Amino acid sequence: MAFLEIDGLKKRFGNVEILKGINVELEKGGFLVLVGPSGCGKSTLLNTIAGLETITDGEIRVDGRAINDLHPSKRDIAMVFQSYALYPNMTVAGNIAFGMEMRGVPAAERQAAIDKVAKILQIGHLLQRKPSQLSGGQRQRVAMGRALVRDPKLFLFDEPLSNLDAKLRVDMRIEIKRLHATTGTTIVYVTHDQIEAMTLATKIAVMRDGEVQQFGTPAEVYNNPTNVFVADFMGSPAMNLIPAKIGANGSGLSVVLDREARQPITLSLPGAPAGLAAFKDKQVIFGVRPEALTDPEGAERNGSEIATADCHIEVVEPAGSDTFAVTNLGGKGVVARLRADARIQPGTSTPLAFNLSKAVFFDPATEKRIL
Amino acid sequence: MSAITSPARQASSGISARTINRIVIYGLLALFALFYLMPLFVMLVTSFKTMDEIQNGNMLSLPQSPTIAPWFKAWGETCVGLTCAGIKGYFWNSIKMVVPAVLISTLLGALNGYVLTKWRFRGHTLVFAMMLFACFIPFQSVLLPMATILGSIGRFGATLQNATGFNFGLGNSTVNLVFVHVVYGLGFTTLFFRNYYEAFPTELIKAAQVDGASFFQIFRRIMLPNSMPIFVVTVIYQFTNIWNDFLFASAYAGTGDVMPMTVALNNVVNTSTGVVEYNVNMAAAMIAALPTLIVYVVAGRYFVRGLMAGAVKG
Repeated sequence: MAFLEIDGLKKRFGNVEILKGINVELEKGGFLVLVGPSGCGKSTLLNTIAGLETITDGEIRVDGRAINDLHPSKRDIAMVFQSYALYPNMTVAGNIAFGMEMRGVPAAERQAAIDKVAKILQIGHLLQRKPSQLSGGQRQRVAMGRALVRDPKLFLFDEPLSNLDAKLRVDMRIEIKRLHATTGTTIVYVTHDQIEAMTLATKIAVMRDGEVQQFGTPAEVYNNPTNVFVADFMGSPAMNLIPAKIGANGSGLSVVLDREARQPITLSLPGAPAGLAAFKDKQVIFGVRPEALTDPEGAERNGSEIATADCHIEVVEPAGSDTFAVTNLGGKGVVARLRADARIQPGTSTPLAFNLSKAVFFDPATEKRIL
Repeated sequence: MSAITSPARQASSGISARTINRIVIYGLLALFALFYLMPLFVMLVTSFKTMDEIQNGNMLSLPQSPTIAPWFKAWGETCVGLTCAGIKGYFWNSIKMVVPAVLISTLLGALNGYVLTKWRFRGHTLVFAMMLFACFIPFQSVLLPMATILGSIGRFGATLQNATGFNFGLGNSTVNLVFVHVVYGLGFTTLFFRNYYEAFPTELIKAAQVDGASFFQIFRRIMLPNSMPIFVVTVIYQFTNIWNDFLFASAYAGTGDVMPMTVALNNVVNTSTGVVEYNVNMAAAMIAALPTLIVYVVAGRYFVRGLMAGAVKG
């Protein structure tokens, strides 16, 4: 039995169904990231776990106990808000201790708990300051301290890093990961940033329009997306989704990629998924991540299904650590990720290696993965 | 007429035009300020003059032999109607009425604003619209119904008096006035606080809920401590309105020892025992105006800050 179980959860505002039957579970000490575009219901889902929103149907269990009808304060949870929600009239110490004060914890115990958390988060020198006298990163720490000090069963983070600048965001991300590793707490974390989701999570739930599109480990979600939406949403730069046609190649199958004013590229697929046979001579969406489309020297040496084809390069973007090249396949711009020192000129043709063992296929009608 | 000389010429004529503008603007402002302050000046100088000087001198001239006797007389000896014990008793009447009325209406307004923004219920906009409507009801239209209600409350108080030997303040004129002003002020105080709390971050309330704070704990520990600007605005507004109120005061506490300051002042001026003592009348009027002046001076800077709050999203 999992530590956090969400079972057929539905939430309706009037006639609008915001959450359409969510099923998610998380083991103790796990890190669940709810990720999706804005308006997908991820924050609402978090609020229902916190008890700040009621639910229409379903059940939420923590440690085997149904909590969906309990008041937020009785659920043994702590929450870090997007705006940090620090009480402006109290000092940092007062903010951290407020929850304990409300629960009637004696002053001496409160002080000990504050000191312990201040040490973990290195905010000891800030304890007597007001929130308005803190920087963004410091406020973020205090907000986490307020959650940590309670030692709850479940931590909820609502887009905690979205108000920080880019560099600080990376630092705090690492800090949250370290905190999770050292304290072993169970965390549910909402973000719209797929990099945060990939780096932090032990489990990811990709959401859209109130439904979980895919639920799995970061590697599963990244490598085996169940549909076009997940494939497109996770990863940066996004996966190339190229309209293509499945052809026959002797006894096996091949994928045919149209090109403007040139011969189409035909790549044979020795390891094609079983379901692809049904799409012979039909249109599919051929998905290949930029890192699986690279210069032949940079391709995986032990990749079993490397196919090389000459491509016309339209744009070259040197990004420092990598060089991105844009070509045109099937009428769409396709991004290839090359080594930083790849010698490549826009307007020329160059061979690119397709790592077909990493390629995925989708049905254009249902947008579902072809397995 | 070359292009090179014209900017310099424009600059010099620009400066002189600006100076003239300034002189005109400040001159007009000074003139209006003078005009506006003139009655206050006359009141002040008159209150420090002797009767001889008032009768024989110029209204605008400074007192030749300044005396504070009129102030003492106004405070402790002047006649209000038939009793001649000064206005001090009525001054305290007003204080006893204004302080509770202001505090109660402000706190209730804050509570209303808190509920109307952070604990919304079905129909909260209708409730707010009706409370807003209360701001536009003319005083005169509630005089008679209110008198009926106060009469009933008074009779209930008398019944209690007979039954328990104590009337719990029901039927007392000061309590009546506090009640009237609280009811009448609620529309305004609710409007002030509701608009202020509308911009108050809801995440703070959610955080406090998760922290285990109750409805009133959140109100007392989170909302009120962060409401200083609007609190001061509301207190100033209510204090000024209730202190200066004459209509309700004269209607429900218009005679005897229970009169508030405004009614008493009117009676001071209207009581004639031969000579009209302008200096005493002026001193009494000044005393009547002092509390609102003091409130403005002490809390005025918050008033402006509070009025501006919410105008620009910080």
